[in-house]
Amino acid sequence: MNISVKILSLFCLVGLLSVSTSTQAQNNTDYRSYSEITAKMKALNNAHKNITELKSVAKTKGGKDVWVLTIGSGDIKNHPAIAVLGGAKASHILGSELTLRFAEQLLSKANTEETKALLASTTFYVFPQINPDAAAQYFASIKYERDGNMSSTDADRDGFFDEDGFDDLNGDKLITMMRVEDLTGKFTAHKDDARVMVKADVSNGEKGRYKIFTEGIDNDKDGKFNEDGEGGVNINQNFSYDFPYFKPGSSENPVSENETRGVLDFLFEEARNTFVVISFGPENNLSTPLKFNRGAASKRVVSGWLSGDIEINKMVSELYNKKTKLGKAPAGNPQQGDLFQWAYYHYGRYSFSTPGWWTPEVKGEGGKPKKFDNAEAQYLAWAEKEGHDVFVDWTEVKHPDFPNQKVEVGGLKPFTMHTPPSEILDSLAQSHTDFILELASMKPSVKLVNFKAEKAGKNLTRITVDVYNDGNLPTASDLGVRNNWVRRVITQIQLDKGLNLLSGEIQSFERSIPGDGYVTKTWLVQGSGKITVKSGSPMTGFVTKEQTIK
Amino acid sequence: MKTIKHILITAFIFGLMTTSNLVKAQLTEGVFPAAGTPANPKVEATWNHYYNYEGISELTERIAKAHPNLAKRTSIGKSYEGRDIWMLTVSNFKHGNPDRKPAIYIDGNIHSNEIQGAEMALYTAWYLTESFGDVKFIKELLNDKTLYIVPTINPDAREHFMNEANNASTPRSGLKPIDDDGDGLIDEDQPDDLDGDGNITQMRRKNPRGNFRVHPTYPNMMVRVPDDEFGDYELLGSEGIDNDNDGRINEDRVGYYDPNRDWGWNWQPNHIQRGAHKYPFSLPESRAVLDFVMSRPNIAAAQSYHNSGGMILRGPGVEEDKATYTRQDARVYDAIGKVGERLLPGYRYMVVYDDLYDVFGGELDWFYGVRGVFTYSNELWTAYEMFQSKERSATDSYEFNKRLLFGDAIVEWKPYNHPQYGEIEIGGFKKNFGRAHPGFLLEQDAHRNMAFTIYHLYQTPKLTIDEISERNLGGGLREVTAVITNERLMPTHASIDVKNRIMPPDIISIEGATVEAGMIVTNRDLNQTVEQKNRPERLEVDNIPGMSSVTVRWIISGGKNYTVKVDSQKGGLVSKKK
Repeated sequence: MNISVKILSLFCLVGLLSVSTSTQAQNNTDYRSYSEITAKMKALNNAHKNITELKSVAKTKGGKDVWVLTIGSGDIKNHPAIAVLGGAKASHILGSELTLRFAEQLLSKANTEETKALLASTTFYVFPQINPDAAAQYFASIKYERDGNMSSTDADRDGFFDEDGFDDLNGDKLITMMRVEDLTGKFTAHKDDARVMVKADVSNGEKGRYKIFTEGIDNDKDGKFNEDGEGGVNINQNFSYDFPYFKPGSSENPVSENETRGVLDFLFEEARNTFVVISFGPENNLSTPLKFNRGAASKRVVSGWLSGDIEINKMVSELYNKKTKLGKAPAGNPQQGDLFQWAYYHYGRYSFSTPGWWTPEVKGEGGKPKKFDNAEAQYLAWAEKEGHDVFVDWTEVKHPDFPNQKVEVGGLKPFTMHTPPSEILDSLAQSHTDFILELASMKPSVKLVNFKAEKAGKNLTRITVDVYNDGNLPTASDLGVRNNWVRRVITQIQLDKGLNLLSGEIQSFERSIPGDGYVTKTWLVQGSGKITVKSGSPMTGFVTKEQTIK
Repeated sequence: MKTIKHILITAFIFGLMTTSNLVKAQLTEGVFPAAGTPANPKVEATWNHYYNYEGISELTERIAKAHPNLAKRTSIGKSYEGRDIWMLTVSNFKHGNPDRKPAIYIDGNIHSNEIQGAEMALYTAWYLTESFGDVKFIKELLNDKTLYIVPTINPDAREHFMNEANNASTPRSGLKPIDDDGDGLIDEDQPDDLDGDGNITQMRRKNPRGNFRVHPTYPNMMVRVPDDEFGDYELLGSEGIDNDNDGRINEDRVGYYDPNRDWGWNWQPNHIQRGAHKYPFSLPESRAVLDFVMSRPNIAAAQSYHNSGGMILRGPGVEEDKATYTRQDARVYDAIGKVGERLLPGYRYMVVYDDLYDVFGGELDWFYGVRGVFTYSNELWTAYEMFQSKERSATDSYEFNKRLLFGDAIVEWKPYNHPQYGEIEIGGFKKNFGRAHPGFLLEQDAHRNMAFTIYHLYQTPKLTIDEISERNLGGGLREVTAVITNERLMPTHASIDVKNRIMPPDIISIEGATVEAGMIVTNRDLNQTVEQKNRPERLEVDNIPGMSSVTVRWIISGGKNYTVKVDSQKGGLVSKKK
């Protein structure tokens, strides 16, 4: 990135004026930076030492830690667990805030009986900020939506690294857009809000008048603008599922970054009890569940959720909408190499993701929701009604690459559209916490019920027990059933010396037991003494049943 | 003064070299040189046995010490158990920077039981360094090219194969402990060397209702009886007991994952690709290779030695990647592979997914997919080598054992009292037979496989500036035309490389001239050109195809003694003065 503020402010005609007259942007100063998040995580850990564990799973190139706070009590590695992750896509800073607030709100009730009971049977792994290097840009002197960490990349693959970043042409400390008046341009003003630039619809008699670029100059004179700025690898496109090779923001290889490897090693090796992964980011299967796609689901390289898992998604989505009441969301499509898809397709766990917030409906005359064909126009209408200043008006600058053309800088302020005003953060976080805790109550949970030891002949006893899943969720997702990293429910019988096993398996495995479902186990033993039946998996918890046969 | 010092130092170094020559020289008395074998090697090495980790460490060190200008030894990283993964860089260090010459990367032994890849690699380093002085072709090769040779990329489990009880197909995995059967215990039920001979062989039990009987000529061979007959024996699988008393035998052995399913091109998790570990490059050994290869963009070719079956394999590993390997690149692969079939009697040139089985996340696909490197995996040793015949019989191995190895490959059946099976017998092929070469055939195959990788390396790009010509345009302007030829089969950029811009373009620049404009000439006869507006003195060419030329042109207004330079990641550096 080449910030040439000093030189370029000379070119700026009315930029300074616009900065001085602009009112304060919407109040989102309560979002916390890396150092504040770190301090908070340490404080939480200190205040709740008996039920928390703070660990750094990775050091970034920028020297920052990727924190995970484990919350739970007792045998925490063998209780069903929920992993909550924020900030895989770093510019989605709301995700980090919601994740951190989940831990704060959960721990604020740590002394209640209800929470104590929950934490004695459920573990939470909380990762508030997976890509701290990139997230720092929100708090930097010049703001732009940055997703790349501090690994240097050749984003445009021309053999040069980080040679053409943004430039703050109008000196407002924000990187917005640039429009250049040009007959060959494809863009024109939106019919409802002239500030918004849209592609001209030639088939409807429109013609383009503008070329659109991000704010900056062509530092390396290759005809492209800001195509290879400072950094970096976008962690949310560094996961192994559907890895986007050779794309800007990708590294050369999947799972190449310390951040990604730290998170994955922790989830694979230390958090095997995870049954659900919740991520806050652009992807959304919570306000609207995924749809079943038979073709994609039945491919060898599975690329659609299996039908049983779609049913679970529907159930969880209903719960989400009931708890958050956020209404209909714009499409939040999965991204190549993202965390959300990895958690399902490669980790085999239920994976749920939500942006956490989106532009609310704008009421028109008569209280009816107004219809918009453009998300930016809707957002601007909402912000105007709420009195938030979120737009930098188009103002002319002199631009060295367009000496004979009119160039204006302006557009939506970075971050605003997915970073709600901080006064709603409390209630937003509370509804998401409520959702996560309700989901926790649906966890798979193995119990041994209908235990019977009946006489089956001379000196013979037949033991029968139902291995019952007391939860609403299956003990493994339909896809997880196929994956070795997803542990099966194991049932073992141990016999005292005086006992002989005549029939039945010493050890058996269930790939999955549905919610409210069970399997029956039976053994035939000879003699007398103590028998112990043990059943469970790290994802369901373990239970044992003892009986002495006389 | 300076000159005198220089002479003295040179004399001193020369003296040192001569001394070391005398010390290291061997076998000069009483022998007559055979064609194609180093006549007077500085490093004593024999090729009818296998080197363990200590042997590899020692031999690589001796080669590097004896040939400081031709071989350097470095460690590319540590294995899971902390062993150094040794690499020899072989090139003429006095002739250009080895890291800027077109190079081949060679490794062996990724599957820990497939041991002889290490010997192929070691033989290559030994032969090249010892032949440099006597064989003109080798001298030129090491002047032009570089070899990065890593004899074993699975040193932990190579040691396990040699020192612990195994059969010819185990451990295959590396040694990171894994709970294979999901019972919460790790590697708790491994095969057991019940007869204590270092080999895991077979168990059989006398049974009048069995379905096997002993072969009349080869008593160690068990033959299945016809469906409507009973035999005298039943087979009970590999030597072992139910260590953890869970009702299964040998169900959780060392490892288990497949290191050759750990590579980051079309990697798939274990429910799609058996043997996959956590994520691409989640094993320290493959990550060490990754980090090294990413740091050497001059690697244009690669060979990963496996066993067995006598195959020269190339990708794709799966049908889903069929389109990744374009017809253009397949032509290069085919041309080199066909020569390989000639050099390696009994070996066939094959495509993994089409002719063998499916592999997601294999090493050779990663080399090609992510780096655009033309890569083969040779599956060493084929039954053809036993009697040099394509006709096969089920008794071949037993006959070969009897007539050529005089019984050394087999453990005779011996009785054993098994805790679960009772009275049984244990016997069968030793772990060093069936997949590994017998000693007397090892050197031959090492030489032949080396010859193939040398041909493979030879066909990496070799760039030459054929022509620099000038034409006066008048008005103080001159037109300079340069022709650059790639004299070998391989392009500077594989088509997947061109498509994805994996490597930067080849840079053809002119120095010492005042450049007004620059262009790539697409048709010289018809004067068709494409101008490069930005940085015209430094023309970017996407690719210089194999056995082809590119033509570039500058319009200059000044400069007489200018130089044309070519800088290609996989084609090396060349320059020519006008």
